[in-house]
Amino acid sequence: MKLFFSNRINIMAAFVVITLMVFNIYNIINNTPMVPNQFWAQKIFYFHVPIAWTGFLSYFIVMIAGVLYLINKKNFWDHLGFAAAEIGTLFVLLVLITGPIWAKPIWGTWWTWEPRLTTTLILFLIYVGYFMLRAFGGHPERTSRYAAVLGIIAFFDVPIIFYSVRFWEERYQSHPQVEITKQNPEIIIPFLISLVIFTILFIFMLKYRLHVLKVIFDRKNN
Amino acid sequence: MFYTLVRKDLLLELRTKEIIIPMFAFGLAIIMIFALSFNASQEINHAFSPGLLWIIILFISSLGLNRMFVLEKEFDAFTLTLAAPIDRGTIFVSKVISGTILLLIAEIMIIPPFIIFMNIAIPSDWHIMILILLIGDLGIMSIGTIVSGLSMRAKLSEMLLPILFFPLVSPHIIACVKATNYWFKGLSFINWQAWIYLMLSFVLVFFLLGFMIFEYITEE
Repeated sequence: MKLFFSNRINIMAAFVVITLMVFNIYNIINNTPMVPNQFWAQKIFYFHVPIAWTGFLSYFIVMIAGVLYLINKKNFWDHLGFAAAEIGTLFVLLVLITGPIWAKPIWGTWWTWEPRLTTTLILFLIYVGYFMLRAFGGHPERTSRYAAVLGIIAFFDVPIIFYSVRFWEERYQSHPQVEITKQNPEIIIPFLISLVIFTILFIFMLKYRLHVLKVIFDRKNN
Repeated sequence: MFYTLVRKDLLLELRTKEIIIPMFAFGLAIIMIFALSFNASQEINHAFSPGLLWIIILFISSLGLNRMFVLEKEFDAFTLTLAAPIDRGTIFVSKVISGTILLLIAEIMIIPPFIIFMNIAIPSDWHIMILILLIGDLGIMSIGTIVSGLSMRAKLSEMLLPILFFPLVSPHIIACVKATNYWFKGLSFINWQAWIYLMLSFVLVFFLLGFMIFEYITEE
């Protein structure tokens, strides 16, 4: 049983990730233009959207890992699904926190029942259930199987949630994710840098969590 | 085989009445609480009633699902069903169908007191409502059966079921409430057919998904 940070490559990776993140924050504060009538509130775009992207990416990984676990029953896929679910839920929680911070000055309200917000909230609640299932599932092998199934179901629920709320709430609202595609290069480039850095952070966190889960698993079975 | 399984569930219910009567009694209790706590004018009751009706249906269906699978757990009946040479997908379909039938019966018992206590007037084309209820129940039972299968053998299964079930079924409930609302306002079908299609797509997705995946849920 080796510690994660006893590996020199991992120490290097941690150092690189921290440096990149510090650079990212500096870059966003100093090198991005102020958007008229949004001012500082707009800066949260550079965090909110990449965090949302990584959150949904990790839920996608949960689904893929679930399918693969059901097919070949390798523990690796179970651990991957669990790790991605944990990190995804953390990131989605951050999305649910940063979103209202932006919405209050721009929309004038903390929360509206609008497709993206509702989908994210429902998905978050499903994953709260996912962790309860993990915790109270009983037999470990069965719990892993159930968690894989739930990961797949949750993924299939997303488009239906999105469209049901979209039919229901038809008025259009400006959105970080929608608006960012219409911006000029001064905004797009720092945004893309932030996106890449958050994805790297996500991969690093996933690797760390996978290591921990494997250690716990080995300890339980020896 | 499918017919036998559905018949077994319904016969069991006919003899014990352990699912429908509690569902009905619980539904009645919620209606009373709603009617008393709102105690409002008829217009407000009119505006709220589609949502309230589906909240009641959701609550009683989670109660019914719980009972259905507790019955299966008693005397280890489900293990015997699984040991029989039946495709697991067929077991899933039979559970969905028998659950839908039981839920429909409970709803038909619940709706008259709902109308009376909430003091609402319903449109004359009530057969459309039966259609909405049928599709709604199929969706609720498809996802409900999957989730019951997942939570059935867990610790705290009574608590886990609604926690998993409500968020997953929420888009379907939105569609059901919307469709009921439009029907209630007397709009013609053309105006709100999108909601029916949304409900149907939910039923289709989770019915097929459950059919495919139930094998992994019930595996020992």
